[in-house]
Amino acid sequence: MTTTLAGGRAARRQTMRRIRPRRSPAVPLVVALWAGAAAVLWLWWDNTPSLADDTARILAAGRITGLLAGYLMALVVLQMARVPALERRVGSDRVARWHAMSGRYTVCLVAAHVFLTMWAYALQAGRTLGDVVRQTVDSVGSLPDMGKAAIGTGLLFVIAFLSVGGVRRRMPYDTWYHVHLLTYAAVYLTYWHQITAGNDFAVQPTAKTFWYGLYGVVTALVLWYRVVTPIRLNLRHRMYVEAVIEETPGIVSVLIGGRRLHRMGAEAGQFFRWRFKAPGMRFSSHPYSLSAAPRPDMLRITVKAIGDHTARLRELEPGTKVWAEGPYGALTAQRRSRGKVLLVAGGVGITPMRALFETLPGAAGDITLLYRANSTQDLALWGELSAIADERGARLMYAVNSPGGERPDISAERLRQKLPDIGEHDVFLCGPPGFAQSVYEALREAGVPARRIHHESFEM
Amino acid sequence: MRKSHPIRRFVLAGAATVSGIVLLLSLKPATDPASAQAADGAAPPAAASPQGGAEAAGAGTVTGEAARTQYGAVQVRLTVSNGRITRAEAVQAPRGGQSDTVTASAVPRLNRAAVAAQSAGIDAVSGATYTSAGYKQSLQSAIDKANAAGGAARGSGSQGSGSQGSGAQGSGAQGPGSGGQDPGAARARTVTGAVARTQYGPVQVRITVAGGKVTRAEAVQAPRGGQSDTVTAGAVPRLNRAAVAAQSAGIDAVSGATYTSAGYKQSLQSALDRAGG
Repeated sequence: MTTTLAGGRAARRQTMRRIRPRRSPAVPLVVALWAGAAAVLWLWWDNTPSLADDTARILAAGRITGLLAGYLMALVVLQMARVPALERRVGSDRVARWHAMSGRYTVCLVAAHVFLTMWAYALQAGRTLGDVVRQTVDSVGSLPDMGKAAIGTGLLFVIAFLSVGGVRRRMPYDTWYHVHLLTYAAVYLTYWHQITAGNDFAVQPTAKTFWYGLYGVVTALVLWYRVVTPIRLNLRHRMYVEAVIEETPGIVSVLIGGRRLHRMGAEAGQFFRWRFKAPGMRFSSHPYSLSAAPRPDMLRITVKAIGDHTARLRELEPGTKVWAEGPYGALTAQRRSRGKVLLVAGGVGITPMRALFETLPGAAGDITLLYRANSTQDLALWGELSAIADERGARLMYAVNSPGGERPDISAERLRQKLPDIGEHDVFLCGPPGFAQSVYEALREAGVPARRIHHESFEM
Repeated sequence: MRKSHPIRRFVLAGAATVSGIVLLLSLKPATDPASAQAADGAAPPAAASPQGGAEAAGAGTVTGEAARTQYGAVQVRLTVSNGRITRAEAVQAPRGGQSDTVTASAVPRLNRAAVAAQSAGIDAVSGATYTSAGYKQSLQSAIDKANAAGGAARGSGSQGSGSQGSGAQGSGAQGPGSGGQDPGAARARTVTGAVARTQYGPVQVRITVAGGKVTRAEAVQAPRGGQSDTVTAGAVPRLNRAAVAAQSAGIDAVSGATYTSAGYKQSLQSALDRAGG
């Protein structure tokens, strides 16, 4: 049974507007981040008249790293607050990479801060570098809020350790995710000593106000976008599993019904984080792209069974309640800057491409889809893709391994041969990391500028 | 999509952070620029007690200039009654983190010492070197103000405010022991010499004089950091002993510490001049 989700015309009209790419706010955000860091450093600079000896210098280094860590900690949490401007304009994948990068950096700063501060305190107390541990125990016992801070820091280090690539791959995603949520507790616990023991906040009421403001805003955003917004969304739309369809061996589509789903504001190319209220799936949410433009009564996701969770999707009973958060993702028609578009999909990466293929505005011949899979049996959704191609006058190409198992040739020459004006195209790319990387390089070589290759990758 | 090796990124970020912090630290001056100008930043006007005439009866309070230290500002308020310091307290002291602990233990001792000594010539509390230095500086300023306002606080003859920073040497040069001989003759008093600059750092000597003899000599400032710590630790005690033994600045230089010795002798001479003046 093939269920073609029609109704694409309405969706296409929705995105039918003048092509004017929305600029990503990434650059101003990064500028703001640096400005904030500069302000934090200035706070230290202004409060420190002089540094007479090495002890003072070590302590100053401890303070600088501490201030920066406290500042970045707020931003690391902010990056995961699911703020629409970040998720939909910068892109969830990019923000997640920022989060991982700044998270690692912050943990290093915290470690440096603890070590340097305790070293300086030890020297002040007439001890030596070797007494750092003893000094730490003393300080935790004697200074305000340091007990909390010590627990929080310990938590942070545990979380950081579990997030190291090798360790993380060895544990189930759900376990890792729930441990990772403890970061909120860690941040809360370490927050207090910044205010009570932080010299720069003790002497500068303005700085203290600013710090309260920073953490207050971040807390408010997290509560609003991670708690209130999803509750409202799900109360309004009340989603449930309508049907589960096997597209090809190993790839299933889940049809999701609900109320007024077109009002969720989802666009083709975006995804939701899904949670199915079925045994074993209740507590984990997973991001799956919409594989068709949303209809008022139905959404569809298409998923390849690779992990535990995806394999269980196949057994979902119709009527199972669904909890969704979203829409997220910036791989939408808004990225487009040219009339002509090439969509490149690798394997199950077809899902957002399928939705875009249907809805991207364009005249006959403007839209091309290149679909890479292992074999023709693995070309999921091929029936609908052909139907859309016929209806729209779009071009549809596939590349599969030869019967001998040889990989198809997706090189710059081949691409130019198939699309002589490839340099005039916007390219949307979705697929496994290795595939995406090689296609990206081929595209660049074929003359597509980097700014017109739109790609989403959740690889860290 | 551009490739960036994680290790390379890690090393780059680490190197950038470390060099940034080192740069910031190295841009900060080693000596307190504010101490020379008597803390322009936080200097509430001294609440000098407007006692009627000189040595009028009745208590009044005088607040010294705030002394900025690297851990925070220190400001001392004195209660002066009949020309004597009856009470000393810190209206400002370093706060935050370890500073709270240090302040809590050091300031009460400094307060008691100030009342006992009736001068700024008090010993630094160990483990609170900077707070002590700032305290003494602010204390000296309060005493100066009290003198200016009400004549003489007894014992202000002990000149030199311990940790006078750069430049403003001889701040205690006014009215040595003005009429304060009666108790002062028997009691020991301390005199701090001018700062002598050497290429490794400033040297400043404080002597304790009792009965016209130098009973004790010590360096309130000496070169520090790196090799200097070793040299200072080896040379200064010997110079101190030599000064007491010689009762003059004509002491031998300690070998291996030529510059420190020269600075020491220079500051010692200045202290002797002031004490004998």
